[in-house]
Amino acid sequence: MSDITTLNGGSCIAFKGKNCVAIACDLRLGNQALTVACNRDKVFKITDKTYLGMTGLASDVDTLRSAFRYRLNMYRMKEEREIEPETFAHLVSSTLYEKRFGPYFIEPIIAGLNSNNEPFIAAADLIGCLNFAKDFVVTGTASDKLFGMAEGLWEPDLGPEELFESISQALLGALERDALSGWGAIVRVITPDKVIERTLQSRQD
Amino acid sequence: MTSVAPQKSKSGFDFSNYSRNHFLDGKGLGGFTATSTGTTIVGLIYKDGIVLGADTRATEGPIVADKNCEKIHYISDNIRCCGAGTAADTEFVTALISSNMQLHALHTGRKPRVVTAMTMLKQRLFQYQGHIGAALVLGGYDATGPQLFTVAPHGSTDKLPYVTMGSGSLAAMAVFESGWHKDMEQKEAVDLVVAAISSGIFNDLGSGSNVDVCIIKKDSTEMLRNYVMPNERAKKEQKYGFAKGTTRFTKEHIYSMIQKEDVFEVGSTAPTPAPLPAAAAGAGGEETMDTS
Amino acid sequence: MNSILSRFSSTNALPANFDNEGGRQDFQDSINGAPAQFDLPGTEPARFLSQYTDVDSSNPAARIKLQHGTTTLAFRYKGGIIVCVDSRATAGSYIASGTVKKVIEINPYLLGTMAGGAADCQYWECRLHELRNKERISVAAASKYLSNIVYSYKGMGLSMGTMICGWDKTGPALFYVDSDGTRLKGDVFSVGSGSTFAYGVLDQGYHWDLTDAEAQELGRRSIYAATHRDAYSGNTINLYHVKEEGWEFIANYDAMNLHYDGPGDNVPGAPGGGYGWDVRTQGLSSKLEATEGQQTSGQGGRFADEQPLTASVQPPQA
Repeated sequence: MSDITTLNGGSCIAFKGKNCVAIACDLRLGNQALTVACNRDKVFKITDKTYLGMTGLASDVDTLRSAFRYRLNMYRMKEEREIEPETFAHLVSSTLYEKRFGPYFIEPIIAGLNSNNEPFIAAADLIGCLNFAKDFVVTGTASDKLFGMAEGLWEPDLGPEELFESISQALLGALERDALSGWGAIVRVITPDKVIERTLQSRQD
Repeated sequence: MTSVAPQKSKSGFDFSNYSRNHFLDGKGLGGFTATSTGTTIVGLIYKDGIVLGADTRATEGPIVADKNCEKIHYISDNIRCCGAGTAADTEFVTALISSNMQLHALHTGRKPRVVTAMTMLKQRLFQYQGHIGAALVLGGYDATGPQLFTVAPHGSTDKLPYVTMGSGSLAAMAVFESGWHKDMEQKEAVDLVVAAISSGIFNDLGSGSNVDVCIIKKDSTEMLRNYVMPNERAKKEQKYGFAKGTTRFTKEHIYSMIQKEDVFEVGSTAPTPAPLPAAAAGAGGEETMDTS
Repeated sequence: MNSILSRFSSTNALPANFDNEGGRQDFQDSINGAPAQFDLPGTEPARFLSQYTDVDSSNPAARIKLQHGTTTLAFRYKGGIIVCVDSRATAGSYIASGTVKKVIEINPYLLGTMAGGAADCQYWECRLHELRNKERISVAAASKYLSNIVYSYKGMGLSMGTMICGWDKTGPALFYVDSDGTRLKGDVFSVGSGSTFAYGVLDQGYHWDLTDAEAQELGRRSIYAATHRDAYSGNTINLYHVKEEGWEFIANYDAMNLHYDGPGDNVPGAPGGGYGWDVRTQGLSSKLEATEGQQTSGQGGRFADEQPLTASVQPPQA
């Protein structure tokens, strides 16, 4: 239990839908059993249509967020275009693998629409092994519970509103059984013309 | 503030977190479960070339992290490499050697040879003394004919007519030992590889899902992704559709990405150097500057 | 029962060669021995147990992670004793149950609370249940009895912290007993991983002359605070009131409802409305509202806007 990856708690999940993707996270920041804050968003905007979720050690999440911001800006300036979600996934992967023998204790997930508005989701382990899933990806202290919820609730070709309900229920269900995640949740559904961001009403214990 | 700019070294590993993590490990705080491919990978030589095979399960401890991952990695057009062990390591070490093989081929102007890839792999793995946890089955067809090797994480290699690796290697080797013979026909060889991988899938808990096969001959390479899928999930008869409005939310924010733009027509096709009509002056102002 | 026992108490009833075999002798002792005992494994039960259990989160290899996440509280005041507990049971970070009864109703005048290894507690509370004599046992005696039992097992891996609450000839009485052998008489106790949070609220609002409604609200509010801040406490809250005529179960509250809506309409003592910080302060504090074009989302949404790079992304054509 006194392990770095579960020190702060927190979980993330992403679903692929029909011409849309959804990414959701809880809001807890803890210090072991103590809940320190209930407003820690774990999903970060990369481009208008690409989002990155990171769970694990909160200080490493912050460090990597800055590192990705730097690398992303360099990419934008060199390429004079926005990064594709798949390219970004590889950027995340190689950034993590560079620290193969002294890793950051985080596990990222990436969700977005590419320039042809095709949905894309991916996950990586803490040393950058990519997993391009065709259905869903999960990460965090509730990942085993999220795997179970997602295996049950995910269906192919869900529209934005259906996707919102499915991912929300999957996340809330998993949070019911994880002591280290919860205290609020944010869901983002990315469609070709808009991003819908909703803060869920969830248990505060 | 901590600098996030890349360090001087432009390639290779970065050990800057190593001492921190070593310290945490000493306090019993180290948490570390990288995705590993508790795998079954095999390869054999048959009459016309090489057949490689792999299962498609990736695990994180007891969790199946990926049900359909690709374990047969591209090295060059005529060489492929199956990877078992730490998933990230197999992925990156094969990608690196693939890249170096292409540079090498460009430099020598010759078609790449399997021994070259094998030597590059073993040298790198030996250099890292087993810390790069990649166990590989390397196969290909080059100027010297069909070639098949295994490379162990510490850098030792084997050259054999039929090989297996990973946690399911015993199950697979049992099949090869009883079924392999010299100069097999292609169908016979592929069937044997499928049987060996299936043996791993069904008898080894670290292996699972589907069978990937790759056939490498003198002039062709055929990658048969998900050649056999013996573990397909039964289709759900009904759906868990939640009615809209099931989930209660307290806040909503919509970021619209549709950018509204008012478009004014600016005169005819050729831009006129003369002062523009008043209505279009704002929009067309910069455009006239381009041409000057 | 006595006749059966007497048959075994006579060694003459057994063949002579039985006495000479050490093993058989042990077997016989366990039947004759006066206090009933656990079947103790091996020679060193404490070491045996510590291989498998993880009482103070120090043994990562342990298979059995004992439930130690809990918040329980009890306090004495003018009108009796308020007992309030959460209902969460955890195994590691997994919430194994949200409907655990952590108050044991020993008899109509005695309550015990559970914190620590759940299995241990229930066993001992059941033992206590058998304590009734012709005269009702005093709270002091009951707690002393429990304390003596757990003390005899000291060092063998028992883990519990309990509060014995009741009303006897001396009036309302409250004792804290734990597996180290501690036994304390007092007015205000809270036990478990969330106890510090409960104490925070409890100490702030406690005084002897509380009305019944105020006291119940204080207990409820204190446990709510603990469920909010402590990861290993939560789900539902059970509230009991010990009075002269015996204990009374007041209610079971869902912690989520307490956060958003409070204990319900017209609950005496409750101020009305949710206990949650965000719920209570809604509209009461000033807030810098976002202006046109500013984004109002959580920190996540800000990422791409932190660097206004549009100029570089689409450089002006020269």
